[in-house]
Amino acid sequence: MHSVMLRANALVTFSVAILALMCAMASLSDYLNSPSPTAQVQVLNVYRFQKKRNGDDEVSLTFNISANLQSVFTWNTKQVFVFLAAEYGTPKNALNQISLWDSILPSKEDAKIWIQTTNKYTFVDQGSNLRNKDFNLTLHWHVMPKTGKMFADKIAMTGFRFPETYR
Amino acid sequence: MCSAGMGVCVRRCGGVCGGNGVCVRRQKSSELVASPMDWQGQKLAEHLMQLPLVLFAVLAFITGYVLGSFQTMLLIYAAGVILTSLIMIPNWPFFNRHPLNWLDSSEAEKFPKPQPANLGTKKKTSKK
Repeated sequence: MHSVMLRANALVTFSVAILALMCAMASLSDYLNSPSPTAQVQVLNVYRFQKKRNGDDEVSLTFNISANLQSVFTWNTKQVFVFLAAEYGTPKNALNQISLWDSILPSKEDAKIWIQTTNKYTFVDQGSNLRNKDFNLTLHWHVMPKTGKMFADKIAMTGFRFPETYR
Repeated sequence: MCSAGMGVCVRRCGGVCGGNGVCVRRQKSSELVASPMDWQGQKLAEHLMQLPLVLFAVLAFITGYVLGSFQTMLLIYAAGVILTSLIMIPNWPFFNRHPLNWLDSSEAEKFPKPQPANLGTKKKTSKK
């Protein structure tokens, strides 16, 4: 501590150590937030439902998402990645998850979603299992913090069913 | 306290001889960076670093959490670090109020010189 460089070194070391501690506490403070997000999805129309040449089912559908993820945001949230997945079980795979739509919510103001859209990504089953199949539409989200731990959660919406016949 | 030659005076009080034989510590701007700090000053400098940094960290965290703004926390803490560095990094005069007073060489001759030991010399050379 007797020279300028040694004092500068001590200051930088100590201040960065404290900064790390502050970041850890900011990450821990996320646990104080108990979010209450809401989500609803309506399937408006299954406008394409076919068996492809290789035997796999392919679906195109339009749907309506209304969700409010504002309570997920805290002071330590950088952005939230949100996606809607169709989930169903088949004899071959206990759980199939197919992403139909996704989005990045950069701020709390953007976290009120109301969107009517077709599936952004192709919906193809591994096989021909989709006729008259029950499926869930699940809204998943991943919270990306400024510092510390990432969180992920979801809301599953049940009671959807594919048509009995191809169209 | 402060007598004849400049050399004596510098050794005794780490300063310059004033007109009436009083030791005057004059700090040049270059000394803020280059000169070493005395022992008490180093202890003070360490305390003047730790306390403000911790206080600013607490203040920054509480303000940031209440306002819900991570950026505010970082800005307050950055301001605290800069302010603290201005206080404790330069060798301000108030860090040098307890200078080491070395004995005059004429006084030192009254005391027996330490006997150089054989092992001692070996150790010194090996260390350096």
